Amino acid sequence: MGFGDDEDILQDFLVEAGEILELLSEQLVDLEQRPDDTDLLNAIFRGFHTVKGGAGFLQLNAMVDCCHVTENLFDILRNGKREVTSELMDVVLQALDAVNLQFEQISQREELTPADASLIASLERLVSLEDLNDSAPAAAPAAAVEAVADTEAAVPEGDITDAEFESLLDAISDEGGAAAPAAKPAPAEEPVAAAGGGDDISEDEFEKLLDQLHGKGNAPAPAATPAPAPAPAPAPAASGGDPDGISESEFDDLLDQLHGKGNGPGRTEPSAPEPSSPAPAAAGGGGETITEDEFDALLDQLHGKGKISGDAGTAAKAAAPAAAEKPAAAPPKAAPAPKAKPPAATAKPKAKAPSADAQKPPAARAARDGGGQQANVAAGETTVRVDTQRLDDIMNMVGELVLVRNRLVRLGLKSSDEDLSKAVNNLDVVTADLQSSVMKTRMQPIKKVFGRFPRVVRDLARNLKKEINLELVGEDTDLDKNLVEALADPLVHLVRNSVDHGIELPANREAAGKPRIGKIILAAEQEGDHILLSITDDGGGMDPDKLRAIAVSKGVLDEDAAARLPDSEAFSLIFAPGFSTKEEISDVSGRGVGMDVVKTKITQLNGSIEIQSAMGEGTRIIIKVPLTLAIMPTLMIMVGRQTFALPLVSVNEIFHMDLRETNIVDSQECVTIREKAIPIFHLKRWLVNGAAFEESPEEAHVVIVSVGTQRVGFVVDQLIGQEEVVIKPLGKMLQGTPGMAGATITGDGTIALILDVPSMLKRYSG
Amino acid sequence: MPIKVLVVDDSNFFQQRLKEIINEHPEMQVVGIAANGREAIEKAESLRPDVITMDFEMPVMDGVTAVRAIMAKRPVPILMFSSLTYEGARITLDALEAGAVDFMSKNFAEISSDSATLKHKLHKQIKTIARKASSSASAPAAASRPARSASPSKAEPGRLKNRISLLVIGASTGGPVALPEVLKTLPANTPFPIVLVQHMPENFTKAFAERLNKQCRVKVKEAVDGDFLQPGVALLAPGGKQLMLDKRAGRVKVLDADARVNYKPSVDITFGSAANGYGDRVLAVILTGMGSDGCEGARMLKNKGSTVWSQDKESCIVYGMPMAVARANITDEVLSLKDIGPRILQEI
Repeated sequence: MGFGDDEDILQDFLVEAGEILELLSEQLVDLEQRPDDTDLLNAIFRGFHTVKGGAGFLQLNAMVDCCHVTENLFDILRNGKREVTSELMDVVLQALDAVNLQFEQISQREELTPADASLIASLERLVSLEDLNDSAPAAAPAAAVEAVADTEAAVPEGDITDAEFESLLDAISDEGGAAAPAAKPAPAEEPVAAAGGGDDISEDEFEKLLDQLHGKGNAPAPAATPAPAPAPAPAPAASGGDPDGISESEFDDLLDQLHGKGNGPGRTEPSAPEPSSPAPAAAGGGGETITEDEFDALLDQLHGKGKISGDAGTAAKAAAPAAAEKPAAAPPKAAPAPKAKPPAATAKPKAKAPSADAQKPPAARAARDGGGQQANVAAGETTVRVDTQRLDDIMNMVGELVLVRNRLVRLGLKSSDEDLSKAVNNLDVVTADLQSSVMKTRMQPIKKVFGRFPRVVRDLARNLKKEINLELVGEDTDLDKNLVEALADPLVHLVRNSVDHGIELPANREAAGKPRIGKIILAAEQEGDHILLSITDDGGGMDPDKLRAIAVSKGVLDEDAAARLPDSEAFSLIFAPGFSTKEEISDVSGRGVGMDVVKTKITQLNGSIEIQSAMGEGTRIIIKVPLTLAIMPTLMIMVGRQTFALPLVSVNEIFHMDLRETNIVDSQECVTIREKAIPIFHLKRWLVNGAAFEESPEEAHVVIVSVGTQRVGFVVDQLIGQEEVVIKPLGKMLQGTPGMAGATITGDGTIALILDVPSMLKRYSG
Repeated sequence: MPIKVLVVDDSNFFQQRLKEIINEHPEMQVVGIAANGREAIEKAESLRPDVITMDFEMPVMDGVTAVRAIMAKRPVPILMFSSLTYEGARITLDALEAGAVDFMSKNFAEISSDSATLKHKLHKQIKTIARKASSSASAPAAASRPARSASPSKAEPGRLKNRISLLVIGASTGGPVALPEVLKTLPANTPFPIVLVQHMPENFTKAFAERLNKQCRVKVKEAVDGDFLQPGVALLAPGGKQLMLDKRAGRVKVLDADARVNYKPSVDITFGSAANGYGDRVLAVILTGMGSDGCEGARMLKNKGSTVWSQDKESCIVYGMPMAVARANITDEVLSLKDIGPRILQEI
């Protein structure tokens, strides 16, 4: 199994096949829109072709089979012999799913399950230009049998002749010394022997011809190197053997003629040791693997040594056919053979072993040396594949460097040494560049996530009998690899939601005067150090009153609170745990857990999520996430004598205000900013030991923070400034402390806790 | 000086595997990798490789187009990787016609389930075609090279002593280009049957026969068991099988391959059966090819009194099989490829 065990090779395959499969799912959906696009058809064909090639290399046969028929199908499609239809696409997509499943199994190092036989059969029917709906049962088994391989066709005859073969084997063993060499070629020649019963004449003729050729001595050649194919195809098919082939006596005459020139096999001196060393190669030829080098050497020897060696070859060759021939035919030919065999048998291991040993080690060494050198020489490649773990490590170290830089900058400010502050400034710039470069190495286009949506939307829409066009905007927007992965699930959920709840059925759309085909736009763009993702649909929109009513009925809100809830916040109710507006639960969405999870996930990424919706016009969900997870810009604040970091993403504005002008609304202290009441909280009361009931100061800094669609104000003692921090997880003891996202080391060398605003509010304000 | 190899394949996976396998050989070195036909043309120009391995299915520009362009600019021996399907055969034959020297199955499992053998085969193939390049000019040039006059033949030029009742031609590497060259000269009313043996995988022979049939005036078809031998009809031995001749029935027999015979189809087998059936009335021609298949069959023919010709070294893509018969003193005449057809015409 040559290469299957090599982990590096497997990894290479997984990486490449993974990319291709992802691309394929996109391309296949595109294809449904543009069924006549030749370039696209070619690209898809190549995709399956390449995956098949790699799988073939690794002998992942189940995958090869599935890719193979699909590739064939696309060959037909690209040659215009068949049209792309949705039914055909269904089958092709199933095939892709099957390959994807196998791909998963490979990456999990599990055994491959072959693709569903009925799937392969449908693909084959498509390939053979049959109609899918044609009497399937009749066609399916036929196709399956065909696929199983021709070899089985010979099996029925084999039954009878197996016995013959056995008796032949017995006969051979009786010859004592001959048994050993004869037994080896036997397995390989089984099909020949087995089929021999069916067609004596032409088989015999063939054998004779072989003998004749061998008789010349040089030609152990054909026999010596077995065809590399694992099992030889069973010999003569049922071709009616003509009775008037060359007769036995004619053949003998010919042999005599030939031998007249040589010395005749019977008269070969068995003691001639030199020539008999190549001979065994011929004897074992049926089953042994003899490399071409040896074969070449053998040929040279034979050529060089002329007639003598030729005759030895003759003697030895008799052993090979003897194994295959019927007992009746064996005696005359085998008669001279035993003489030659014993020395042959002993010479064989000697001749083979040293040559194999002698060749391999130097060759291997040379290869290794050569490989090392050439790796250096063969430059010119512009990309390197790097393990993401290594990038993570680098990112971590850069993070540490950022911290040291922060500290130095702080120290530099205190010092009056101009040189030092210059050096520190330089360091500051270089570090910033380094940081952004390293971040870029971890960047991936969001396409990686977006790529799967065309398929998701297509399948879902087909399921729900809706007609939907998905538009992707800004697929090339780069963001951190970890983020790309983390965003995948929430986005899938939101998109499914838009398809299921957002877009109406075509009939309803037409009734509302909208185009029959709904539209969903999935967009990404970079905005400063953030990524904005939006999912926009032109569906029915959300009804805030309905949402309020449900919130009340589910006990999420009381009626008063619900009534006061502005529309924009009412939409956010869908993120509340246990909230589902669909009366029936489909398998698509609507179990009421999803949106809650989405919200949590986005928050974990230091992101925010917002919903805009207008009845009858559609809904837009906007997600804002930072570019990277590892380094976070924060606002450093002091509460008591402790430093805390607030994620800058959520900070809206900062006021220095007179706290005597606060109002109490709903037993909640509020300030009015631009005619809007914003609840304020005293962080000191929450976070500093023993300060829970401290009087509020007359004046203080208030940091306005947005949480979801709400805004709240935090009263803090002191503002330090903006700082980029590297998030370090909290120790085991503190892990999961509500309100704390992690810790970091600040510029002055102290430790600051990073606040997790949503969870802090949940813990303290509730 | 190691053999400099340019690997052309759009799959990163295959690029790396081929590079590893090729670099394992101490005398070979991958000097560059191209991901499509256009890059291949550029790199063939700038890196000046000794050998190019070429995939067919690639974006931007496919392999055959690239082969054509490279051969037009600066000929390099090219080894095609192809799938051994009927469709793959047609493409591969296109590539061979465009100037590629030889082909290998892209499905490595089909070549050998054992990686050592596979590597060995690939190395050998690259070595052989690289050697060819250094010893003489490139593939398509062979066909158009000025005639080498006066073949060093021992026999008298002109009519052979026996009337020919069968023409058999055996070829391997380079044969897909050499065979049509010979066959094209033969008229539709060629008075004897023709049997062709070209080393080729299954699926390929059918496409090859169809192509020959279009190019030549004689009718060419892939032999099926029981086909009659008829004047003016060339039967091509099917790949993966063995072809034997039955003089008395005037038919061919197609036998399934046998592990003991290295080549499927084997020139030796067909020539040998021709010797048995037709005795001294056969004209056998050994064309370009690796190895020595055909030598024993030719010897049998020769012993019966038939005539054996072989292609000369200069016009061969690989001077192996013709060399074997020439060295064994079996050959009656050594001919340049372009002289073989006209020389056969003299015998009609």
